[in-house]
Amino acid sequence: MSFEIPIGPQHPALKEPISLRMTVEGEVITGVDIRLGYNHRGLEKVAEDKNWTQNIYLTERICGICSHSHATCFVQGVERLMELAPPKRGLYIRYLISELERVHSHLLWLGVAGHEAGFDSFFMYVWRDREIVMDLLEMITGNRVHYAINTIGGVRRDLDEGQKAKVLEGVATLKKRSEYYLRLGATEPSFVARIAGVGLLSYEQAVSLCATGPVAKASGVARDVRKEDPYAVYDELDFELCTADTCDVLGRVVVRVKEVLESYKMIEQMIKGLPDGDIACKAPRKAKPGETVSRYEAPRGENIHYIKANGTDKPERLKVRAPTLGNYPATVEMLRNGFIADIPLIFAAIDPCICCAERTVTLIGARSGEESVVRMSDLRRKALARPLNAGVKRNAVWPF
Amino acid sequence: MAVLRTLLYLLVYPGLLFLFVYSTFSEWFDRKVYARLQNRMGPTHTGRFGLLQPIADFFKLMAKEDVVPEAADKKLFSILPAIGLAIVSTAGLLLPVWNFDLAKAGWTSFPGDIIVILYLLSLPTLILFLAGWSSTNLFSTIGASRVLTMLFGYEVPLFLAVLSPAILADSWRLAEIAAFYQARPLLLLANLLGFLVALIAVQAKLERTPFDIPHAETEIVGGTFTEYSGKKLALFRLTFDIEMVVASGLLAAVFLGGFPGGAILGFVQFVVKTLFIIFLLSLIRALTSRIRIDQVISFAWKALAPLAVLQLLVTILLKGFLP
Amino acid sequence: MSDTDIVESLKRDLGAKALELTNPAVRRIFFKVATADLVPAVTLLRDKYDCAFLSTITGLDAGETFEFLYHFASPVTTIHVRTAVARSDPRFPSICGVIPGAVLYERELQEMFGVVVEGIPDGRRLNLPDDWPDGQYPMRKDWKHVRPQEIIPGGES
Repeated sequence: MSFEIPIGPQHPALKEPISLRMTVEGEVITGVDIRLGYNHRGLEKVAEDKNWTQNIYLTERICGICSHSHATCFVQGVERLMELAPPKRGLYIRYLISELERVHSHLLWLGVAGHEAGFDSFFMYVWRDREIVMDLLEMITGNRVHYAINTIGGVRRDLDEGQKAKVLEGVATLKKRSEYYLRLGATEPSFVARIAGVGLLSYEQAVSLCATGPVAKASGVARDVRKEDPYAVYDELDFELCTADTCDVLGRVVVRVKEVLESYKMIEQMIKGLPDGDIACKAPRKAKPGETVSRYEAPRGENIHYIKANGTDKPERLKVRAPTLGNYPATVEMLRNGFIADIPLIFAAIDPCICCAERTVTLIGARSGEESVVRMSDLRRKALARPLNAGVKRNAVWPF
Repeated sequence: MAVLRTLLYLLVYPGLLFLFVYSTFSEWFDRKVYARLQNRMGPTHTGRFGLLQPIADFFKLMAKEDVVPEAADKKLFSILPAIGLAIVSTAGLLLPVWNFDLAKAGWTSFPGDIIVILYLLSLPTLILFLAGWSSTNLFSTIGASRVLTMLFGYEVPLFLAVLSPAILADSWRLAEIAAFYQARPLLLLANLLGFLVALIAVQAKLERTPFDIPHAETEIVGGTFTEYSGKKLALFRLTFDIEMVVASGLLAAVFLGGFPGGAILGFVQFVVKTLFIIFLLSLIRALTSRIRIDQVISFAWKALAPLAVLQLLVTILLKGFLP
Repeated sequence: MSDTDIVESLKRDLGAKALELTNPAVRRIFFKVATADLVPAVTLLRDKYDCAFLSTITGLDAGETFEFLYHFASPVTTIHVRTAVARSDPRFPSICGVIPGAVLYERELQEMFGVVVEGIPDGRRLNLPDDWPDGQYPMRKDWKHVRPQEIIPGGES
């Protein structure tokens, strides 16, 4: 007897609304239909009406967990359009925050995977350690989420010696604990029994369906934007590309924990090798006409921004493709022939950042009476309008 | 006088009032142990050390709005929590805590009462299935079918494990079994394997991690409880707390030598022994992750059932050698 | 292979079909093809230049034409293929036969720009709601949204 189970748009397994309609026979899934659109906010259209600086704030709010990825990817592209060369110190600080964000995002995901698998103790321990990273980020940038540290031409806040020492301390503690989680995640029998062999995606499928990030790495596809297209400081840092060859959720757990350990190495290198100098250079108001493609390795995969400028202070076109959208066809493949019990685990294993994946068009205005979606988008647009008039401080000196 | 004692037995100890208070206390104990193992605080503010938290939860739920889905079978939907509560409370009456005379059989302690208590403890599973079924919600149906599937797994090992000490003690009456082991405490060690099997099987019966698939929050919303709210949900949760107490009481009576010493000392022994078993159950809950339904069944039949049969064999052999 | 090698190789393989072949920055190669040559060019990129990974497809409203950029990434460089269709007849072939992962990006193009992708395996809307009216293509430059006047009870709007 086959019937359709709707997972979403509202479901405890999902952190954001998305509708997956599964056709099931008994406990086996025979077909999946992903329906998107619940988190539309019309960011690409809105970006055409805002100037370059306002767009940094806009792109930052594409997502909460990977906010710095979007802002950095955008700022990288704009700096290339404006032919700016940000100072080394600014770049180091910017990518230090990137790696800290990668750590925080992967730890968050690890806890969520534990929770989806029913291993609540693991979830609690990992999130306790994530607080160390959040405290470090708050110390450096002033915010736990939405760091707002990028500006066109560099960063807005500087690091002093005390902060550097604290970062090194925090990273040392986290390193010990992360190694413990690697052992735990890979060897605890009930957890491994739950996640091994689940959500299989073979190497050929990963390549043909254009999977990206840890999802592809767990299937043995060794591609990472930091290695292939090294931007800014990554060609000066020494780190390894982590892959696994089990092609299942266990592989994704292992890949992410290994990436976290590599990030600790990178953070230490960046702190110890932080060059002196300015943290930002002055950016012009208008950009010369041209187009640029900016790629960035977000915690979830490859983030790509295409920016076209037409000589004014507003972009002609901003196209954002967040990594989760690229992983959806692979998700459909992974869910097929799985069990219902594995749905949240498989879906969580791609580390979905659904609000990243749907930004394209304004949702409001076409409907007259429909309440819920309209009001949500209205609220979000109001939230976007708030930081419009926030000034940008260049070369700000940390006051403490 | 006898009427007064009976009323005291039914309503106060070990009747409804005691079961209510003690089951909320054991829920507090379970939540506190679980939280401390996870480096958290657990209930802290309500009452001293958070002791009143489960009672507060119960009364809060009683005060909430009760929504019955339109497509559900209203009569069945509404009556099931009350029936469940009645069943487990009756099972609680059969524990040999006091008011029983070892020489002659009474209403609450008679030969065969171990079978009756096991039967009464199996009924809540059926009640859960009916609750999920009568909700006519897709997630409840899946939860209900999982509940019954799990029943096929753990019931046999549980029965075999609990009945082995009974065979050794040569009696089907809980009070006599407890008295047998009180006289010969060393024989308790012969039942260690059965104790472990029964512990794991009870964890499955109570639907706690690693066996909490029927109401796995992240997969099927609330499982069998998805549509329940307000008073009905409060009664269901109370049913499960009392079931935990009664099952631990059963295990304590059979494997840990019962509760000797009359009313007062027996009460202390009851509390200590059941808390020990609940502590073990909380440990298992904190240290493992949820496993899939097919893995439960294969684990139950490949690991638990053979161990329970082994325990039975050991018991039978031992009986041959005992005077 | 460095960028210049790849550019030379592309010139040899595609010849006159690759218009406006540029290398404006490190690891960025752009070229333009007509819509008829799109599928063969993509097949060539996938087989010979190790570009099985499609990052995304960008749509641009350039007035008289719609331009589409296909962003491919190989382990050594990124290659971006441009194609254009007239606004009056926006049809072009789908590359889903070559790159199965392109279906979501093409669905997005269809609903946002109102173009028709021929041979797309699944042509439903991707992001827009089910009751979005037909004929409204939000990413076109002439589609504007006027924000409704906010009414604050008891105050200035």
